[in-house]
Amino acid sequence: MSKEIDAGVVAARPSSGRRVPPAGVLAAALMLALLVLAALFPWLVTAASPLQTDATAALQGPSAAHPFGTDQSGRDVFARVIYGARYSLAVGLGATALALGAGLIIGITAGLAPRFLDGALSRTIDVLMAFPEFLLALVVIAVIGTGEVSIVFAVALAAIPAYARVARIQTMVVSRAGYVRAARSLGVHPFAVVARHIIPNTLGPLRVMATIGVGTAIVSAAGLSFLGLGPQPPTPEWGVILSEGRNFLATAWWIAVFPGLAITAAVVALSTLGRYLRLRSAGRES
Amino acid sequence: MGSAVRLGGVLLVVWGAATAGFIALRLIPGDPVDVMLGVHARVGEEVRAQIREDWGLDEPPLVQYLSYLGRLLQGDLGQSYQLRSSVTDVIGGQALPTVQLTSLALLFALVLALAAALLARGPLAQRIVSLVELLVISSPTFWIGLVLLAVFSFQLGWFPVTASEGFASLVLPALTLALPVAGIISQVLRQGLDDAEAQQFATTARARGVSRAGLVLRHSFRHAGADSLTLTGYLVGSLLGGAVLVETVFARQGLGGVAIRAIIGRDIPVVLGIIVVAAIVFALINLIVDLTYRVLDPRLRVLDPRLRVVAHEVAA
Amino acid sequence: MNLHPFAPKKLAALVAAAAFVLTLGACAAEPTATEPATGEPATAERTITFAIEGANLSAGHMDIHSSQLDVASLVLRNSFDSLVSQDATGAFVPWLAKSWTISEDGLRYTFQLREDVTFHDGEPFNAEAVKVNFDHVVDPKTASAQAASLIGYAEGGGYYIDTEVVGEFEVAVNFSQPYAPFLQGVSLPQLGFYSPLVLEDHADDLKAGGPGITVGTGPFILSEYTPDQELVFTANPDYAWPPQGSAHQGAAASDTLVIRILPEAASRVGAITSGGADVAADFTPNMAAQLGDDVTVNSIEMPGLPYSLYLNEDRGVFSDPLVREAFSIGVDAQSAIDSIYLGQFTRAWSILGPTTPNSYDSSLEATWPFNPDKANALLDEAGWTERDAEGYRLKDGARLSARWIAWTPVPDDRASLADFLQSDLKNLGFELVRDVLEPAQYNEAYGPRDFDVTDWAFSSPDADVLRSHLQTGGFQTVSPVTKPEVDAWLDDAVATSDPAVRAELYGNIQQWNAREVLIVPLFVPSEITVARDGVTGLTFDLYGRASFYGATVTD
Repeated sequence: MSKEIDAGVVAARPSSGRRVPPAGVLAAALMLALLVLAALFPWLVTAASPLQTDATAALQGPSAAHPFGTDQSGRDVFARVIYGARYSLAVGLGATALALGAGLIIGITAGLAPRFLDGALSRTIDVLMAFPEFLLALVVIAVIGTGEVSIVFAVALAAIPAYARVARIQTMVVSRAGYVRAARSLGVHPFAVVARHIIPNTLGPLRVMATIGVGTAIVSAAGLSFLGLGPQPPTPEWGVILSEGRNFLATAWWIAVFPGLAITAAVVALSTLGRYLRLRSAGRES
Repeated sequence: MGSAVRLGGVLLVVWGAATAGFIALRLIPGDPVDVMLGVHARVGEEVRAQIREDWGLDEPPLVQYLSYLGRLLQGDLGQSYQLRSSVTDVIGGQALPTVQLTSLALLFALVLALAAALLARGPLAQRIVSLVELLVISSPTFWIGLVLLAVFSFQLGWFPVTASEGFASLVLPALTLALPVAGIISQVLRQGLDDAEAQQFATTARARGVSRAGLVLRHSFRHAGADSLTLTGYLVGSLLGGAVLVETVFARQGLGGVAIRAIIGRDIPVVLGIIVVAAIVFALINLIVDLTYRVLDPRLRVLDPRLRVVAHEVAA
Repeated sequence: MNLHPFAPKKLAALVAAAAFVLTLGACAAEPTATEPATGEPATAERTITFAIEGANLSAGHMDIHSSQLDVASLVLRNSFDSLVSQDATGAFVPWLAKSWTISEDGLRYTFQLREDVTFHDGEPFNAEAVKVNFDHVVDPKTASAQAASLIGYAEGGGYYIDTEVVGEFEVAVNFSQPYAPFLQGVSLPQLGFYSPLVLEDHADDLKAGGPGITVGTGPFILSEYTPDQELVFTANPDYAWPPQGSAHQGAAASDTLVIRILPEAASRVGAITSGGADVAADFTPNMAAQLGDDVTVNSIEMPGLPYSLYLNEDRGVFSDPLVREAFSIGVDAQSAIDSIYLGQFTRAWSILGPTTPNSYDSSLEATWPFNPDKANALLDEAGWTERDAEGYRLKDGARLSARWIAWTPVPDDRASLADFLQSDLKNLGFELVRDVLEPAQYNEAYGPRDFDVTDWAFSSPDADVLRSHLQTGGFQTVSPVTKPEVDAWLDDAVATSDPAVRAELYGNIQQWNAREVLIVPLFVPSEITVARDGVTGLTFDLYGRASFYGATVTD
């Protein structure tokens, strides 16, 4: 009776200690490892240059020499996708780390704060969550301007409310728990309580959210780049390549298809890993 | 009393959005006068001063803010610097294609999700549907659109390439927008349909000593947030946010293009107008859904919103 | 115990809301007509549809007196007439002016105007109207760039003095020195005529344009304008004053002209192939290659300034002439252009295009070809001998880097060309950073000249266009450095109408630029317009811009 629906409903059999992770999770881990390799050492994955143009080789389809084909300037698309990994992963990780940190601080403050402060913070979170995350990111870009760094901030800001909300609820639940009450009544300093009890218990679920959140951040960042709000050409960022490829769909579909596959692969891998972590952490509770 | 609070909540959200937007956009560096004069314009200082006076750019920020709020209450969203027409006209003129797109997308999403939930009953089918859901939610919306466009418009020619051939042009964009939403709805539906088995799990888990906190943990991740309100928010957000990208991919008219042009071109009144309109739309839809919902489930008419939220979680 | 007591109900509520929204959308959708198919046989109304790129038109470029964009001329020519017209041979023929005389000293042009011309709002066209319009062009509040330059006006200088009403239908324009390009300028839409009532009541709205504001004497009346979407013109029933020698007479051949703004190349291609448009402009050879056999492709090489890079010699690395020369020969522009434009656009070697009358210096052709070895040697000689970790050249710790600003939207072909240029320069160790900016931000950088390179092409049937690009204070002069030699040549060139003298003076300027490398020409664009079979009566001006006066669609 094992189902994997959103991984929220877990398998009914007990998770008993260390098990070999399922094949899907191993594949996901492998894919992520490949992406990290591409991000850190792209020259190990491909010998071609992502920026070198070649007027004689423009718009050629996938072949042995160019596994993903060439683009309108004769550049190797495979090389561009590999070198592009670092931008997407950097933005995804950076934005998520920022959002996680800020969300944690805001959420814990709200959870522990007196009623009025919590109310104000919650209302603010609600207002922010009133916006489609993508539109919120767009507005941030409107204020701080375009570019790679702007995208990191925009995506982070748009994601903070979700983390803050979970952190807040977790804080409220944990702070009402018996052992925490005991600690407080024994005179343990509130900051120590936060550090020793609240943060560790909040990090668990947030960590899982963040794993999946990195994937969402990558997609949002690619979307903003696609609209022209991120790095400028000829940077081989995946969203930029996709927006270039859009103009050649009729004649050179490979320019648009492969970077998108890379994004999807990254997000699927992260989601799978995230759900697996969720299962593992849930299992550890028993 | 409850309804008044709810309506107040809507107004609060809209006010908050308008204020936040106003503050944020005041922070933008750069001179709107440059925008109005266009590329390569060279004019003397008195002409610039005249433009500033005409548009009220010289007033202190607080005065600008209050007059802005005042105009908002009268339904006046202001004038666009660049397009030289009222923001209401700009948004109203381009709202219809977006409404058509999102409506059709929602319809497609519901149909697809229902089909997936009802037709996929065996374990193999469940796995396949799960996998498709995962792929669809993980792929960037605009990439799905590009792929559909490449395959069905350029290669197979089943759908037109341009955006103005009536209903046929609407199908692919609406489908693109619908897929991720369909994925989420399908997940929720299938989870709902499996409630019975989930219940058994809950009982078994509790019998083994899984703490209440553990159950809360598991529960709080679902739907990308703790509150059920977030499901609606997430869906509307997906549709509105996705519409911007889909309209770009398929070169469609609509609010997406208006928003992007206004944001990049720093047409501040239009950006503010879109923020306000988006907040109103979201708040209204939430209000409608919530009211309908409260009618359906009297259990949750709890006065303290904080407790209500926690009550959702521990209702198990 | 239900873990999800609300999810299905939540969905039910959402479905209810959705149904509400859908009904709204469906109701609203019904009365909205999709684009009407052109040439519907049953109705008497003849409609012709024209698809253009149309970008930036809505950003304040609906005023012919102030805009310098080609798209403004293209669209607004339909509503605004000029005093004279230039025919295919380049000669000037009467239009709104039935005749004209030039004084002996070349300082005064007197025009005798037609007496039967009226504006779309009923106002009569007369000498007073001409004066009011020309006054508006030179008014500082209009902030005119190109129109003011065409009329020879410059703040605190220039050649234009004023316009004088001599009789009800006779008007004179006075100059401080002979200004030969004047007739050329006066044949363009930029010096076309608004109704005096509009100039009086709606001067502030001209840039935004619209029905009732964009009011001229032309064969088409603007009846609807949806910014960034479309313009609808209806034929002017009273129109009886086409240029002399026009094949078509009377009211326009089509009842309605619809101009659709389609910024996406693929959309314009799709519009032609599907019949959503009868004529489409702003095509590249790549796009034209995707069309079938049932279209006619008109390609007209553009006179004026070819697509070039403009270097800012006042700042940064380009203050060194060695670096400028290395930059110009360090890129393989020929291969790039052949690749991008399928070999159909020619390489530009001079700052004037070959079809610019009486001025092109063909001796410059192929005189500075791609030569990476020489470029490297020049850069070494200029002192950029060290390299940093990424391979870029260094001098005194600073990287050899230039900033290129471009404004949106950037057509795909130009973006591709930029990729090639950046790549070639990187191989030399020269970093070329390209910032694509929205017009507002572009202005902010352009004003104080906070850039090293920018780019554009500028069409003009007269070499005098160089004046606005090289003369000190010219409205598109990039370099702030004063060059008295060039200023003198330019002033002399406008003072004479002798083609041989002008050719020599412009030749001097072209040679000068070849030495100084202030402007790096790349390729000569052609204006490509495609028309579906069945479109008749379409004509083109010297720039390759389509004219719809006599055009109609027969199925």
